[in-house]
Amino acid sequence: MSGRSADMGTLEGFPCPPAMEPVGRSPSGSHATEFLDRLRAGPPLVLDGGLGTMLQSAGLERGTAPDAWNLAKPDAVVAVHRAYVLAGSEAVHTNSFGANPIRLGRFGLADRTVEVNAAAVRLARAAAPAFVIGDVGPSGEYLPPVGQADPARLRAAFAAQAQALAAAAVDALHVETMSDLREARLALEALREAAPGVPVMVSLTFERKRRGFFTVMGDHLAVVLADLARAGADAVGANCSIASPAMRELALEALATATVPVVLQPNAGTPDLMGGAVVYRQSPEEFAEDVAAMAKAGARAVGGCCGTDPRFIAALRARLGGAPAGGDEAAGGGAPAGGEAVS
Amino acid sequence: MASERDLMQAVIDGDAGRARALAEAAVSAGDDLLAAVERLVAGIRRVGELWEEGEYFLPELVQGAEAMKAAMAVVNPALGARQLSRQPRGRVVIGTVQGDVHDIGKTLVGTLLAANGFEVHDLGADVPIAAFVAKARETHAQIVGASALLTTTMPVQRELVAALAAAGLAGSVKVLVGGAPTTAAWARAIGAAYAENALRAVAVAESLLRP
Repeated sequence: MSGRSADMGTLEGFPCPPAMEPVGRSPSGSHATEFLDRLRAGPPLVLDGGLGTMLQSAGLERGTAPDAWNLAKPDAVVAVHRAYVLAGSEAVHTNSFGANPIRLGRFGLADRTVEVNAAAVRLARAAAPAFVIGDVGPSGEYLPPVGQADPARLRAAFAAQAQALAAAAVDALHVETMSDLREARLALEALREAAPGVPVMVSLTFERKRRGFFTVMGDHLAVVLADLARAGADAVGANCSIASPAMRELALEALATATVPVVLQPNAGTPDLMGGAVVYRQSPEEFAEDVAAMAKAGARAVGGCCGTDPRFIAALRARLGGAPAGGDEAAGGGAPAGGEAVS
Repeated sequence: MASERDLMQAVIDGDAGRARALAEAAVSAGDDLLAAVERLVAGIRRVGELWEEGEYFLPELVQGAEAMKAAMAVVNPALGARQLSRQPRGRVVIGTVQGDVHDIGKTLVGTLLAANGFEVHDLGADVPIAAFVAKARETHAQIVGASALLTTTMPVQRELVAALAAAGLAGSVKVLVGGAPTTAAWARAIGAAYAENALRAVAVAESLLRP
């Protein structure tokens, strides 16, 4: 903790050039309309891949909030965003998965919610993607009966984060890795109020059960997608928990029922143990084949989640055709290969 | 036996109020309380099976466990008074390792272990190794359960095994690991036990307590 606070003052010395877009522009200056248009028509939007796992590979120590790196190690965060843009990501998610006041509070940073989220947007913008998506993760608390969370408290936390992200002019917001439909709904409603006019995508995390894809709380995929669309989500979908082969099956079910654009971000394939080290057996190409199939089937925004890195996005970009944003540099743009041991 | 009068069914239905009332009735009627406990255990086992079959989800598991707890809170003191006290089957410290905030799988395991008679100390997610060690020492736990959902945090399970050994607890504490990327081979390699899902974790925990 002390190391982090010591580093916090270095933001002024932020080594990256100023963002391409003026920093701090008004929400009306964001590309919300272009983002919505792109979700609805044209080639599928290529998102980024895992961010938390990339930061860990870049040296994020356990016990440190990844979001705190927006203030303490801004250059490392920009480097990850930039690697994804070079690999062909048109939209990157801000490093703000845990940047709601409840989660930040566990690291003593609740009162820096605005600062952490504003920095998250600035760092994503610095990598010059076409779109910056404000990332909103779960509150970290559970509603009854699993936990004792007060819905009003969760709602306020989401609103505080959304307001900060919107003030920093994100082009869209993405509520992701939600396991409880009720919490996802709370977040969606809070974002709508706190960030009017900003498109909102909502992704939950599903597991395959005998009777289909369900959240751990027991909501069926089709029910979740329909409910969120009715509640006004601009895009709905799934991320995390399952790898691309299972997500490909989920995609077909989702696309058959969804009434709004579908967004999908599977994990890298199930890892394996080889010679005592943890490795991902799935190659970026295998991942890309599955995800490209989802896009061809009609998914409107695709990317990766835990374990994926810029190589996965570069492979996806190649499969989908069209010029990668960063050209040939993409191949070398990735930090640690998913196929390498992490220790 | 009419199902409304059955403790097993009250647990399966996740009805804590009914489970408590039935337990109170059994105590005041002087019923065989060990048989009552058996019905409760049968109920929670069925809840676990229904979860494994994809019929039940986390909320039903939690409610089943709450019903079990409500009935046991009534039955246990009465058993004690009759000098038949039912000891916890074992003490477990459980958590998701540091660097990893995925906590649902671990919560499932903790819920099922507690429902099956284990004394469970759930440390939550993103738990430092030192916290696992301290809690294991404090509670005289026989088992430490460590969940990891990322390949980047799996190595922490190995570090935890080493830290427990360094703390002199290797002889008294066994480590049980789980989480999506983990495998039996990984567990063997780091000297831990492995369970591929929450229901299996109960059986593995039981087997770890056998001498």
